[in-house]
Amino acid sequence: MTTHRVARPLAFGLALTTLVGSFVALELWRDRVYGEPAPGDAVLYVRSGDAVRRLSLSFTPLVADLYWIRAVQYYGDMRLSRSPNKRYDLLYPLLDITTSLDPDFTVAYRFGSIFLAESYPGGAGRPDLAVVLLQKGFRAAPTRWRYLQDIGFVYYWWVGDYQEAARWFDKGADIPGAPWWLRSLAAVTKAQGGDRRGSRQLWQSLRDSADNEWLRNNAAFRLEQLDALDVIDRLTTIVSAFKARTGEYPASWDTLVRAGLLRAQPLDPTGSPYVLDPATGRVGLAADSPLNPLPVGAQAGQMALQPAR
Amino acid sequence: MHAIDTEDLTKDYALGFWRKRPYRALDRLTLAVEPGEVFGLLGPNGSGKTTTLKLLLQLVFPTGGRAEILGRPAGDVSVRRRIGYLPENPYFYDHLTAVELLDYFGRLLGIGAADRAARIPRLLDQVGLGAERRLALRRCSKGMLQRVGLAQALLNEPEVVFLDEPMSGLDPIGRRMVRELILGLRDRGATVFFSSHILSDAEAVCSRVAILAGGRLVASGLLTDLLAFGIKGWEVVVEGADTAAIERVRAMAARVTPIAERRYAVELPSTARPDVVMAEMTAVGASVVSINPLRDTLEDYFMRQVAEHVRERQVRA
Amino acid sequence: MSGGRLGAVALSVFRESVRDRVFYNLLLFAVLLVGAAVLVGQMTAGQDIKIIKDLGLAATSAFGLFIAVFIGIGLVWKELERHSVYSLLAKPVRRTELVLGKYLGLAFTLLVNVAVMAAVLYVVLACMWWISPENIRASWESPALDPALLVAFLLIYVQLLLVTAIALFFSTFSSPMLSAVLTFGFYVIGHFNADLKHFETVIASAPLVWLTRALYYLLPNLAPFDVTAPVVHGQAVSPGYVAMTIGYGAVYVAFLLAAGAHIFARRDFK
Repeated sequence: MTTHRVARPLAFGLALTTLVGSFVALELWRDRVYGEPAPGDAVLYVRSGDAVRRLSLSFTPLVADLYWIRAVQYYGDMRLSRSPNKRYDLLYPLLDITTSLDPDFTVAYRFGSIFLAESYPGGAGRPDLAVVLLQKGFRAAPTRWRYLQDIGFVYYWWVGDYQEAARWFDKGADIPGAPWWLRSLAAVTKAQGGDRRGSRQLWQSLRDSADNEWLRNNAAFRLEQLDALDVIDRLTTIVSAFKARTGEYPASWDTLVRAGLLRAQPLDPTGSPYVLDPATGRVGLAADSPLNPLPVGAQAGQMALQPAR
Repeated sequence: MHAIDTEDLTKDYALGFWRKRPYRALDRLTLAVEPGEVFGLLGPNGSGKTTTLKLLLQLVFPTGGRAEILGRPAGDVSVRRRIGYLPENPYFYDHLTAVELLDYFGRLLGIGAADRAARIPRLLDQVGLGAERRLALRRCSKGMLQRVGLAQALLNEPEVVFLDEPMSGLDPIGRRMVRELILGLRDRGATVFFSSHILSDAEAVCSRVAILAGGRLVASGLLTDLLAFGIKGWEVVVEGADTAAIERVRAMAARVTPIAERRYAVELPSTARPDVVMAEMTAVGASVVSINPLRDTLEDYFMRQVAEHVRERQVRA
Repeated sequence: MSGGRLGAVALSVFRESVRDRVFYNLLLFAVLLVGAAVLVGQMTAGQDIKIIKDLGLAATSAFGLFIAVFIGIGLVWKELERHSVYSLLAKPVRRTELVLGKYLGLAFTLLVNVAVMAAVLYVVLACMWWISPENIRASWESPALDPALLVAFLLIYVQLLLVTAIALFFSTFSSPMLSAVLTFGFYVIGHFNADLKHFETVIASAPLVWLTRALYYLLPNLAPFDVTAPVVHGQAVSPGYVAMTIGYGAVYVAFLLAAGAHIFARRDFK
């Protein structure tokens, strides 16, 4: 009787646990064979943000969050996709829905514009839509000079239209509460658009004004790349001087150190050593440096935007 | 073997939402009901009658003690084939008619289709349900539902029948029907276990009773043992008596209550003789309308027992 | 466990659904589909057949959901609330049998409902096929009377069985209001489950990642039951996928019914 009383609940508990185990196992198995269901799939039935807002009743903020997660997920999936004809065509509708549901969704405008503006295949390659999205954000919150700064940035970095970029920086600087440097950024952009000094100032302004970690890290990363470019330029000068003196390129950094031209083996801001090609004298980043790939020349628009590490 | 047997049957309910306090609805009830008996479980509302019945049918599980029906533990599915149960204020399904309900229950009881077809109309006649049997149950009155409830309790020709307040919601004709039904069951050899707070109903059919108060058994036994059936006095109603005659009667009466113009109810103690009053009245030309013995009833006994129980509790507190 | 008693309980549930005019929703469904067919036929070219399929499947799912939840939570609760359970359980019916019988009854009701909806959809599609000229038919991604639609209906039905089991499970221990809220909650979570899994791409804390992953696998995952998109686009749904998804649903239902019946069998009916 006593064993009965213990054995039955025990057997029942065991049976229940087995059932839970079975359905979890089945789910794991199915996900393994057929893949996990992607959120939102590749289908977006309702593409109008206003329509979704009406459908979402009083859950708008929550639904906005969900769409934002979907947008991030969609962007991430596409970015990682190896498909040669991958498309980002749902990215803008997803961001548009998110920001229509929650017009105050700052992150969705600022990150979203980066996703949109970045050149294909790393991003959608649609700086035009990035600008449309940011303008929508600015209409919703006309005191946010950051959206205008971002629009200027899109023109500067992805379109390469420095006059237009400067115009937007200026426009941002007009807004009460905008920082003083936005005006000087506009001036520098107008005068020296596209050179490294202008770039440095742009990224510095972004880093110092960033109100979240991701944007700050991204800007810091760009600045490290610019630093690395400066160092590479200086090292190239040293290598050329050595060649001029000895008639041949140095075999390694040690050669230069022994010649008293360098104090030690030079390291990039991430701690990876710079590489020196003894045959051509070309100086560059180590192949495994996280700073790869560096922007090429002044046309920074060709540079792929890496997510911050 | 007893038809019904309980030993120290106890039920605590938890009251309160956060801090559960146990509330003892039934406290160590020990009872034995013999086969063929009509047993009345009596007590005021909240005394534990319904809890006892629910424990016997295992609609609730006991906190302690045990209960057996026909020698098997209460709740045994095989026993339920042999019993019937009428819940208090029975309610069934809105969408069914009485006939459909009985057919459904008949299936659950494992009664064959032919048997069901024969038994159901007969039972409905017996409980006095006429054309209403084809009416959706949601349109039925309380009295009609009570009749349907009785019919379903008797559907399987049970050996033990549990009736919770079987007379409630019924008119006098219905009450008489239930009385006859219970006596008919007894004649058939079935055991009837019923609860009531209307004691005159119990008096008419019970052989034995148990009285509950505050979840405890306060008395049980044969009705004749429990009640001193001696006459406590008389009540004589007279009409047309003048004041002088009434004053003369008042001397021997316990109480005189004027009812209407020249009409009085005279209460006499058991020591007085009613024929003296009658003679007195006849002499002055008044008439005696009625004369009734005043007896100790179950009602009185019940009230006394409950009052005692309450006093005891107050003393203990 | 007796088949006769289970059948009797199940039949009474089905009869109650019929008498409570549950199947009137079929009328609404038919009107909706026919109306939509007439409307979209005038508005779009080529896409109309896809839209009707989308709508038919979505409406089957939505109407079924309401039936599953609102009848499902009432199956047990109504018996308790109206005290009809007292006389019922005095009959030789095990409480487990009562729960299972009720479930089977609603499962049968839903089966009839989904089957009729499938038939209505096929009839509407047949009419559209009949009136469409050849060049329009050629533009359709999948045939009008595509047998693959049956797969979609089958998975919708299994999903409804799972929702019913959720509703029944909650109603064995909580109030109908709470049961309805919880069941709808699970339905919504069940469809956004994939998002839950992907929360881990946006959250950093390791315990939270672990938690969302555990929830993803433990909560009923309903999204895989929705194969509307591939079916209407004429993409094949693999039999293995269908079998695994049905298996998953069946095991989950078994779990919920076992747990629900266990709780119900121990309840006091005050």
